[in-house]
Amino acid sequence: MKNRLKVLRAERDWNQQDLADALGVSRQSVNAIETGKYDPSLPLAFRIADLFGLPIEAIFLRD
Amino acid sequence: MTEKNRMAPYMRRYTIRIILFMAAYVVILTSSLFFARNGAPHSQATLIGLALITAFPVIGVFWAIFRLLVETDDEYQRLLFAKQTLLATAITLVIVTVWQFLQVYDVVSTGPQWMGVIWFGALGIAGPFVRWKA
Repeated sequence: MKNRLKVLRAERDWNQQDLADALGVSRQSVNAIETGKYDPSLPLAFRIADLFGLPIEAIFLRD
Repeated sequence: MTEKNRMAPYMRRYTIRIILFMAAYVVILTSSLFFARNGAPHSQATLIGLALITAFPVIGVFWAIFRLLVETDDEYQRLLFAKQTLLATAITLVIVTVWQFLQVYDVVSTGPQWMGVIWFGALGIAGPFVRWKA
């Protein structure tokens, strides 16, 4: 699944570790989600959406 | 936000448990072997007791590894740990199956032994494979 995490992160001037700390996950996990290697569970997707103040579908896009 | 490189709480608990069980293993194994191989011949019940006591810290390591799967609150890391333990199990099953048939065809005199140790070794081998490019 494609996503806009990298762009949203860059807009806030956050690095992967900053986002990982905010979400309570490892930097490796953020990298896996950003690069599309791993699709997060719905609870984590909601946490990401809440953090950016956006709906899930504005962050994660259909292939 | 600042960069943090501290160990995750679930990993810290896992590391402490492994260190404690391995330290207990070294102490129990050496003292039990010393006791078993010295003095008057021991009863069967005593030897069974020594075997169970020596196995306890190794079982503890298995418990710590599977507890890690339960306690890891980072879902991607949990997936990687789960893949690692499954791959370790697969490697172990392959080794003991081949070993068993080597024994069936009289290539080796004894069948599979120390499967727990083989699994620990396989877990070490599986880690880099699972995490490579993860």
